[in-house]
Amino acid sequence: MSISRREFGVLGAAALAFRARHANAGERDVFVFGQDLPANLDPHQILDLGMTGYALNTYDNLYRYEDNPPKMQPWLAISHTSSPDGLVWDFKLRQGVKFHDGSELAADDVVYSVQRLLGIGRAPAAPFLPTLKPESVNAPDRYTVRFTLDRPYGPFFGMIPMVFIVNPRAVKPHEEAGDWGARWLASNEAGSGAYRLIPSSYLPLEHADVEKYDDHFYSWRENSQAIKKVEWRPTKVTSTRVLALLNGTIDMTDSFLPVDQVERIDKAPNAHVAKNVTMRLLVIRMNNTKPPFDNINARKCFAHAFNYTGFIEEIVKGNALRNPAPLPNNIWGYPKDVAGYDFDLAKAKEYFQKAVAEGAPMRRPIELHVQQPLEQTIQAGQLFQSDLAWIGINLKMVNDTFANMTSASAKAETTPEMWIHWVSTYYVDPDNWIGQMYDSRFHGTWKASCWYTNPSVDELLRKARSMVDQEDRAPLYEQAARLIVADSPDIWIYNMIEVCGISNRVQGFRHCPVGSGGEVRWMRLSA
Amino acid sequence: MLPFLLRRALHAVPTLFGLLIVTFLLIRIVPADPAAALAGDNATPQQIENIRHQYGFDRPILEQLVLYLGQVLRFNFGESQYSHRPVGMDIRQRLPATLELTAAALLIATGLGIPLGVIAGVYHNRWPDFLLRVISITGVAVAAFWFAIMLQLLFAMQLEWLPLRGRLGDGIVPSPDLTGSLILDSLLAGRWDVLWDALRHLVLPAVTLSLGGLATITRFTRAGVIETMQKDFVLYERAVGYPRRRLIWIYVLRNSVTAAVTQIGLLFGALIAGAVVVEAIFDWPGIGNYAVLAILTADYKVMLAVTLLIGVIYTVVNILTDLVHGLLDPRLREQL
Repeated sequence: MSISRREFGVLGAAALAFRARHANAGERDVFVFGQDLPANLDPHQILDLGMTGYALNTYDNLYRYEDNPPKMQPWLAISHTSSPDGLVWDFKLRQGVKFHDGSELAADDVVYSVQRLLGIGRAPAAPFLPTLKPESVNAPDRYTVRFTLDRPYGPFFGMIPMVFIVNPRAVKPHEEAGDWGARWLASNEAGSGAYRLIPSSYLPLEHADVEKYDDHFYSWRENSQAIKKVEWRPTKVTSTRVLALLNGTIDMTDSFLPVDQVERIDKAPNAHVAKNVTMRLLVIRMNNTKPPFDNINARKCFAHAFNYTGFIEEIVKGNALRNPAPLPNNIWGYPKDVAGYDFDLAKAKEYFQKAVAEGAPMRRPIELHVQQPLEQTIQAGQLFQSDLAWIGINLKMVNDTFANMTSASAKAETTPEMWIHWVSTYYVDPDNWIGQMYDSRFHGTWKASCWYTNPSVDELLRKARSMVDQEDRAPLYEQAARLIVADSPDIWIYNMIEVCGISNRVQGFRHCPVGSGGEVRWMRLSA
Repeated sequence: MLPFLLRRALHAVPTLFGLLIVTFLLIRIVPADPAAALAGDNATPQQIENIRHQYGFDRPILEQLVLYLGQVLRFNFGESQYSHRPVGMDIRQRLPATLELTAAALLIATGLGIPLGVIAGVYHNRWPDFLLRVISITGVAVAAFWFAIMLQLLFAMQLEWLPLRGRLGDGIVPSPDLTGSLILDSLLAGRWDVLWDALRHLVLPAVTLSLGGLATITRFTRAGVIETMQKDFVLYERAVGYPRRRLIWIYVLRNSVTAAVTQIGLLFGALIAGAVVVEAIFDWPGIGNYAVLAILTADYKVMLAVTLLIGVIYTVVNILTDLVHGLLDPRLREQL
């Protein structure tokens, strides 16, 4: 078969038409996120990385974490006071803040928002419920909100940024059968944030667009070239996500990129990788109620058998910092003197023999549940499997989902023998990690899924939680961490360095571990 | 024909009912507790218990099953525990995207598979047959995700001819939603810009999805043609000098495609199920993608509804396949 000159010309023109059309995509003046959307759009129902990124752009909170390490900045509140006993907290509100419908944001709206959060009682309410009742929030005047706690609660102030303020005038007309408007707000928006949702653009978990809110109280004074429109276009598969960044279809990826993709972006002329130390721990959990993990020597054997340096340097290529204790090494309350466990197969073998002598069933197959589709958990499992085999332990990997594993951890008997996960930053307080992972009060939640019990640790953590001053609390967390490390209930691997692919046309990216740098109000697009 | 249709529809009811019961039990027997997933990070056991009670997850499983079946009989598939949107509405919104993708893939697989199968059969054990055998075996063996990435690298990244992902380009305003199919809607509205953009987005996912089907149809058609070519009537027609092209493409083909048609029917269901992978790679907003997200978040009502939907599609396609058999083969028509 031969192609005539005329046919060749037609084909060439068609190819150019294809290329020209594609090139137009790069001229958009919108910012496109490749990150996941939350499962719905109500900030009082969902608490995950997707929601934090979305809510920080569309809603406001009383205080807000900024930069890295995160600092609390007054936001809707201009100041706060607390009573000497730490029970009463007053927040003074900024005046003239407008919701997206133009109505003014006042103290009653904050009270409604907190009551709604507690009334719905989902994930974002969880840390408040033990100490705050809906009726204990009120508005002494139009611009003051008062919280009266049941008991002093150290993490309280650090948790305040988790409360996003919703507009009751927008939500209440949509309430059905006492649902706090949950059904409506799941697909709509009622905030005052720097961007507002274009509701018609929303398809759950697939796409959503927001546009710049010109009347935002912040007045865009630090960014005169702020981005006018932001589109969420989540990509489910890592390779597609990275290709989309490289061909200009999206401007920013998630922060869980595998190493090969990081190297690929690093070599690209039109994108780069932003690396930021964060507060996200990778932990291998051991179910301390199930043999052999009810034996301390068995746990220490496993702790010495993980190749921490090899994993951090070879598998994640240095994009993590060794973190040998149960809270991030860049937060107050971290015990600097704790060395933790090193990779030493001779010591592991020694503990293996001690455990066997004490009757621990070390030779039976042990199951490690890894998370699909998070590749790093699988790589960690494979590395662990090969080293454990050297000392005679048969580790079997089980593919699982996060939802399954969190559900299974409701009971000790259904909790996996071992599983691997991250603990991210939702509020910057040691309680977010060590407090909820090792206080036996939280047994039955996925964070406490090692089922560790130590009355001395419980006492220290509860005492720390009942105090307000950081200086008083820090030594208690340090002491608790030392005791926990000595008992070796889990295997703490690293504190993550977030690696996020960003288009070179994006300027002004500022990273904060809370929200993973997803706040767009700082950013602008270069020509 | 009508009694046949009614009989098959009645037979389908217990099948679908059984499918629903088995799926329900499988999903609810695994240790996943949707209440814990809903309660999220930091939740206390009491909160999880409250949510479990609120959603009725603490009731006996048989009671939950009966309640659910009662809902399904009223065509109420419940609501997603995350999006709070009726599952039926979500499916209505996403199904056209999957049907569009599946139909395009089936069109490619059939449009290419049958002629290639005929060529392979006619040139049995000669070089076109050897070449097509290699291609069809490769088509069956190659993993869809690998093939998809290769297509993305070549056509979206290197040549920049086709879009990498999605269903419509950013900035393209779709035509009014009448059928849910971007292609049909743009045709009805005369929006050629939308049609062109939608077709360009459809090419890579449809080609990826069609690969396995194309190989299967080619192989079944080839086998049918080889068998038919041995029949007496073909020998006779050839002997009397009947035009070869007409003989092969009308008479031989018609007598050879029965098995391939059965495969096409089964393929339609398989392609819908296979769309899960393809939709995830190309960010195609269909029910496959929806099902994957439901599995990852333990959103069990979505899982059940999608399973039932795929079951219904399989059943309907099977019935249609039997009808087509009847049209192709007069001997079978009497049994309808």
